[in-house]
Amino acid sequence: MQNGSPGTPRRREVSDLYATVLEVVKRYHGAARITRISYGAGMPVDRLRNFVDRLLALGLLKSEELDGRPAYDLTPRGQEFLDTYWKMRGYIEVFDQPADPDERSSRRR
Amino acid sequence: MTETRVPRGGKVRLGVLDGDLRVERDADIEVDGKLAVSGRARFDGDADVRGNMECGSFRSEDGTVRVRGDLFVHEDLETRDGAVEVDGELKARRVDADRGLTVGGPATADQFEVGGRLEGAQTLTAQKVSVGGKFRLAGKLKAESVEAGGSVDLKEVELETLEVGGVVHLAGGVVRRSVEVGGTFSSDAPFEFGEIEVGGIAQFHAAAKGGNIEAGGMMTADGDLTFDDLEVGGLGTIGGNGQGRNVEVGGKFSVRGSLDLSGKLEVGGQISVGEALTGTTVEIGGKIEARRAVFTSTAEIGGAVATREGFKAARITLGRKSRASGPLVGGAVEIDTKAQAEDLYGDTVELGDKAEARRVFARRVILGEGASADQVVYTDTLELKSGATVRSAPQKVATLPTFPL
Repeated sequence: MQNGSPGTPRRREVSDLYATVLEVVKRYHGAARITRISYGAGMPVDRLRNFVDRLLALGLLKSEELDGRPAYDLTPRGQEFLDTYWKMRGYIEVFDQPADPDERSSRRR
Repeated sequence: MTETRVPRGGKVRLGVLDGDLRVERDADIEVDGKLAVSGRARFDGDADVRGNMECGSFRSEDGTVRVRGDLFVHEDLETRDGAVEVDGELKARRVDADRGLTVGGPATADQFEVGGRLEGAQTLTAQKVSVGGKFRLAGKLKAESVEAGGSVDLKEVELETLEVGGVVHLAGGVVRRSVEVGGTFSSDAPFEFGEIEVGGIAQFHAAAKGGNIEAGGMMTADGDLTFDDLEVGGLGTIGGNGQGRNVEVGGKFSVRGSLDLSGKLEVGGQISVGEALTGTTVEIGGKIEARRAVFTSTAEIGGAVATREGFKAARITLGRKSRASGPLVGGAVEIDTKAQAEDLYGDTVELGDKAEARRVFARRVILGEGASADQVVYTDTLELKSGATVRSAPQKVATLPTFPL
């Protein structure tokens, strides 16, 4: 994803980090432990705990005991967030394309 | 069962061992031919094995174990808070690595489950591959299912399913069932797929062929694209020719070559086709452009239609205040209020109030209130409502000229 001039990497925003954490959790199908999420998201555990706590509070993640330790899973709301997030990222990429004069004159339904 | 123990920081030379092996932190193991452990091999921390190794099972914790040769594990390879680096070939029943796995040679297991990063310099063959973070492979990947939370960078693939949270880049190959990507998907070489669903952007840099395609934001194909149903939320581009069943695009859709559909075309914004466009029905909210367009059933245009050779459908409806350049050819042609068109051909042509046309050729012609045409040629009836005008005298003829298309 680009932002600004071509070749300039888009700066990661907080929403990108939340989405990264959720995508990693999703791969474990209910068995995501904090260390595994940490390795997957490339984020230290202490920083990750803050993200996970926030995602739990927002109802995007849920936690269950698995072998005496917490394991995390995505909630339907978390999946909804990811769907919306990626779709919006796609649209932002579209807006970053060069403007076409014909496009501006076209009428939308 | 006996256990051979290598103490912390120990430097030893080992060969065939009957029993288990326990290696403490920072050990350096020279290999006599091959390190063959009949039982379990366990590493506590960093260790260096300078040669080929074979064992019943392999477990490491809190460090990186490097094997400077091949590693064959008859049962499972497991690391906890650690990583494994194998310079040569890796074979195991199941691989479960917390932090990472790097393999220099071919890698084979029923299942690879890696928390952080999986990197391979040659081929990888498995039933299932699951990576929490990044997965990078320089050789061919053959597996039933591949999942990754972060990004995936692959060469040729032969898979059943591929599911990635972030970014997928692959050279090409086949994913027989489904590709599901949250962010961006791109393929460099010819690619075949069952169906593909991308939340953000799908990019095919060479010819691609498959079933349904769904891209939330943008879809670009540099070469030819063959599909069943194509659904794009924002922007769609095909650099070659497109062939499929139905197309639904929310924003703008461009095809450099021709677009051949066996079903419906729906575009919310605008569509531009460099060559011929064919299908059964079409609904365009904005503008449609093509060298020529032929639909076997209905066409509803909300904004504008522009063709060089003509636009043909069994029934054409041009919306209020819309514009048409190039001939419109239909069984029935309806031009709504205040719309403007050039040449119109049909069995019945009806211009709405204050609509304008250049030339009209039809069996039956109706001009609404205040509508106007430069020329009307008809075989059956001409109905002019109040204020309707025909600039040159209407001609009733026995036979109409041959219609375009």
